[in-house]
Amino acid sequence: MRARGIGQSSNFFSHYARQLGTLSGLLGLCVVLWAATPFFLTVSNLLNVAEQAAIIAIVAVGMTFVIITGGIDLSVGSVLAFAGVVMAEALHRDVPVPLALAVALGTGLFCGLVNGALITLGRLPPFIATLGMMSVARGTALMFTEGRPVSGFSGGFRSLATGEVLGLPISVVIMVGVYVLAHVVLTRTKLGRYTYAIGGNEEAALLSGVNVKLYKAAVYGISGMLSGLAAVLLTARLNSAQPIAGMMYELDAIAATVIGGTSLLGGEGTVVGTLIGALIMAVLRNGLNILGVSSFVQQVVIGSVIITAVLIDMWLKRRAG
Amino acid sequence: MTDAPVLEMREIRKTFPGVLALDGVDFELRRGEVHILLGENGAGKSTLMKILSGAYQKSAGRVTLDGNEIEVKNPAHAQSLGIATIYQEFNLVPHLSVGENIFLGREPVRLGFIERREVNRRASEILHGLGLDLDPRRPVKGLRVAEQQMVEVAKALSLDARVLIMDEPTAALTEHEIKELFEAIRGLKAKGVSVVYISHRMEELFEIGDRVTVLRDGRSTGTFDVRETNKFELIRLMVNRDLTELFPKEHAARGAEVLRVEGLTTRGGLRDVSFSLHQGEVLGIAGLLGAGRTELARAIFGLDKVERGMVSINGQVKRIGSPRAAINSGLGFLTEDRKAQGLVLPLSVKDNLCLPSVDKFTRLGFVDAKRERQAADRYVKELRIRTPGLEQKVVYLSGGNQQKVVLSKWLCSEAEIFIFDEPTRGVDVGAKAEIYQLMNRLAAAGVAIIMISSELPEILGMSDRILVMRAGTIACEFGAGEATQEKILECALGE
Amino acid sequence: MKKGLVLLLLAALSLSLTNCQRGGEQAGGGRQRIALVMKTANNPFFIEMQKGAEEAAKRLNVELVVQAAEREVDVEKQMQIVENLIQTHVAALCVTPSGSREIVPAIDKANKANIPVVIVDTRVDAKALADSGGRVATFIGSDNYEGGKVAGEFLAKHLNGKGKVAVLEGIPGHETGDSRLRGFRDALKATPGIEIVASQTANWERDQGFNVFQNILQSHPDVSAVFACSDLMALGAVEAIAAAKKTGQIAVVGFDALAEARDAIKQGSMVATVAQSPDRMGAMAVENAVKLLKGEQVQPEFVVPIKLVTKETLSEGGK
Repeated sequence: MRARGIGQSSNFFSHYARQLGTLSGLLGLCVVLWAATPFFLTVSNLLNVAEQAAIIAIVAVGMTFVIITGGIDLSVGSVLAFAGVVMAEALHRDVPVPLALAVALGTGLFCGLVNGALITLGRLPPFIATLGMMSVARGTALMFTEGRPVSGFSGGFRSLATGEVLGLPISVVIMVGVYVLAHVVLTRTKLGRYTYAIGGNEEAALLSGVNVKLYKAAVYGISGMLSGLAAVLLTARLNSAQPIAGMMYELDAIAATVIGGTSLLGGEGTVVGTLIGALIMAVLRNGLNILGVSSFVQQVVIGSVIITAVLIDMWLKRRAG
Repeated sequence: MTDAPVLEMREIRKTFPGVLALDGVDFELRRGEVHILLGENGAGKSTLMKILSGAYQKSAGRVTLDGNEIEVKNPAHAQSLGIATIYQEFNLVPHLSVGENIFLGREPVRLGFIERREVNRRASEILHGLGLDLDPRRPVKGLRVAEQQMVEVAKALSLDARVLIMDEPTAALTEHEIKELFEAIRGLKAKGVSVVYISHRMEELFEIGDRVTVLRDGRSTGTFDVRETNKFELIRLMVNRDLTELFPKEHAARGAEVLRVEGLTTRGGLRDVSFSLHQGEVLGIAGLLGAGRTELARAIFGLDKVERGMVSINGQVKRIGSPRAAINSGLGFLTEDRKAQGLVLPLSVKDNLCLPSVDKFTRLGFVDAKRERQAADRYVKELRIRTPGLEQKVVYLSGGNQQKVVLSKWLCSEAEIFIFDEPTRGVDVGAKAEIYQLMNRLAAAGVAIIMISSELPEILGMSDRILVMRAGTIACEFGAGEATQEKILECALGE
Repeated sequence: MKKGLVLLLLAALSLSLTNCQRGGEQAGGGRQRIALVMKTANNPFFIEMQKGAEEAAKRLNVELVVQAAEREVDVEKQMQIVENLIQTHVAALCVTPSGSREIVPAIDKANKANIPVVIVDTRVDAKALADSGGRVATFIGSDNYEGGKVAGEFLAKHLNGKGKVAVLEGIPGHETGDSRLRGFRDALKATPGIEIVASQTANWERDQGFNVFQNILQSHPDVSAVFACSDLMALGAVEAIAAAKKTGQIAVVGFDALAEARDAIKQGSMVATVAQSPDRMGAMAVENAVKLLKGEQVQPEFVVPIKLVTKETLSEGGK
């Protein structure tokens, strides 16, 4: 093909065009809700939406990393539940709060690394490995607690859900922090570069000297660890860790990732897009609640939005390619 | 043959994001002619034909069929207009029979049942017309490549195609099969079918073609009667430079030994392979498919486990257990299959180019994008990689430019030993010459090169020394000037 | 840009849907808005409750918003719904908690917004509420412990004081299920001839009731009765019994008195169920919420009476 001096700028534009599309979708949604109800566009409701989005949004960051490598992590919801109840038990045994948080992250990390080992050393397809982990982690959480929620924590721990920093709920601050960090990791670090390379062409990455197994395992570890972090926030929010928490979170996280323009085929995607995707889902749920739409209709609308977003994404891609 | 054009394409333009693929191309097809479309990879041949077959939509221009302007909406529409395309990858359903494939989607039906007998009768008729004795009830998966291709041709004819586009139809055929195909094409001509024939192979052009149109950089550089032109003129029109010598070999000074392989044996099939390689040397490795050439490269590069034997680099014994270790020891591997192994297609030129040497640009885990860009920019300029920018995804580059990106990867990682596996496969004449020149420059700079190739002229033309592999081991060694095609083949076959 | 457009369209669609739903009510203008947040909207028990609440709202001329999570056990979704309703400044909030402890943070938020909270059907964990300092205006529900006890006493009589009994539990940690279970067990303590040979959870679900009871039948082919903490699970067990061709040989007792369970009792595939009155609960929730808004005092607790439903009571024509 003939290269013309159209230059880099057009490229940059097309690179971010998809996010602009998703962002305009989010803004459009907000405009409609603003017009439809006086309760939507208030500071307190927007903070409320951000808080509601935080947990899925954090899980979706890990999911984005995994999906960029061309994999999938179905275990995030179960790992969240498992990490949550382990941490809750620790808190009930008077383990200091910082250490208990480390226990939650560590439990998530451990489950993620087991996923990674099954996928790299055991050569299992990610779908199968994490499907297995989904069941194992859930079952272990239920066994561990005999099926009962572990609840009631100190005010210090609860302040993770009730506290504020500069007027923002702590969970929102943590979410923003995770996204900034993840964005920097994906765009500026070796780990990020390798994540894209593995998803774009695993064989070529291997032949270019990328330690594919190590980095793949690391990515599943990150996903597990972020599930652990989400478990901390969810447990603080409900003042209870349930062994049945986080059911279907994998699907919400995948949906946020995919709405954000990350391709399930791997090699492409951004966490900025995922954040917008997670916000779209949260705004949609919030808005439909406020409008008093029944839960049945909500499911139809949310499903339609996912399908539409991906259809448009594919259409844009075809046009570009 | 009449001179009336069946089909005319005028001022065709096609743009992709950041790239102008076709810039006002004219093309004309007469009734009953075989019109060759010639050009380097990326010159726009496939794009032009995809517009005709409805796979792409043109950005501007006019297409007329029998004098009526047409707008080809999609491949099905093209078929209904009598324009059929036979791609390199066939569109056949392996488990269905020949007859079922020919009439797929248009089966004669009575009372909801497919009339199998009618399918087979009509398929037989068409196959006979092509001079082919093929049982229409046989499943396609058992057929030879050439036979499958004829099924594609039969399918096109069953659609009453008047224009047949064939994309590199002889790429996978044997000498004898090519003869059969040409017979069939001549038969089609006689029936008034017009054929657009895309090919790289000069010899075929003079054998089967009536006229030839040369494309370069998305423009037509002219249409000629095949009898009034010659190979050298066409090459000049394709690449815009004279290629007096196809293999511009320059002998570099031979320096110290950089690589020594002794008794290398792997489970993958290498048996007791020993050889050495010197600075500035191009070591050609010939052999038949499955003789162990690629396995040798994989073993040296740390991809396959070595059972016995050793590899030493610059006099030091190295244990190379992974590609990373190989790269750290100064090795670079240009694989046979660029797209499957060489490049991460959705990543940019810059990211691909820097991938093996990210460590070099990394401080405390952070990649210094500015230094990366500087390095990438240097190689893009040095190797004249044609790309709209460093951020262009490599998937949008042409084959030759993609190969240059792969080469730059290893230049950037400062490799001292290059392994080229089929370096010019799928690369056109102009880019080939450029790659050979680059090999010369590398050798002159003291780089040692192992060149695995199935093309004997390439092996003979570019190597300082030639090893011939057979059954996992090295069967013969020849010095430059010592070897001939016959000698190499004899050794490779074990006669 | 296109994506934006489509989302707009979708939102417009959802808007138009809401408008038809709310069309009649909006005419009322400045009526007070009361919210009812149920565990789920796809369980017959809650559908009845919603009906009762809607009738009461109409009668008392208040606007009623009914919301529920997709899944009965999704405590986080329920919390989100409560938060979102608080944003719309509802005047009062009636909730059937998906989790007896997990609902507490949501109650706190309602308290902070000065919205009175009426708890329906499932009790809030008293300790968790006390720890957080949360306030609940009133509780409306049936005495599940009493219900379990009534079921146990009936079964003891039905089996003539002798036999092996299996139990299908609800989700562990649910106050409702736990209370029914306790009541049932306590009732059987008085009858030493009856042994509980298996007690497993079927998570409130019908298909799990089927599977779990099928497994129990494998290990204890000689069970003579089963008590399920809800009719849905009981109906699952009925199907498992039918699959084992033992219909009529095993006495099935359920809870909730769903229409389908009443039919099963008429046909003899179940022997009894415990009737709560979800419609009554829904109505009382709205009535008391209205009282609260008028500044009237309400009792801290209303017990909606329970009733055993058997073939006899059904033939008497009593509901």
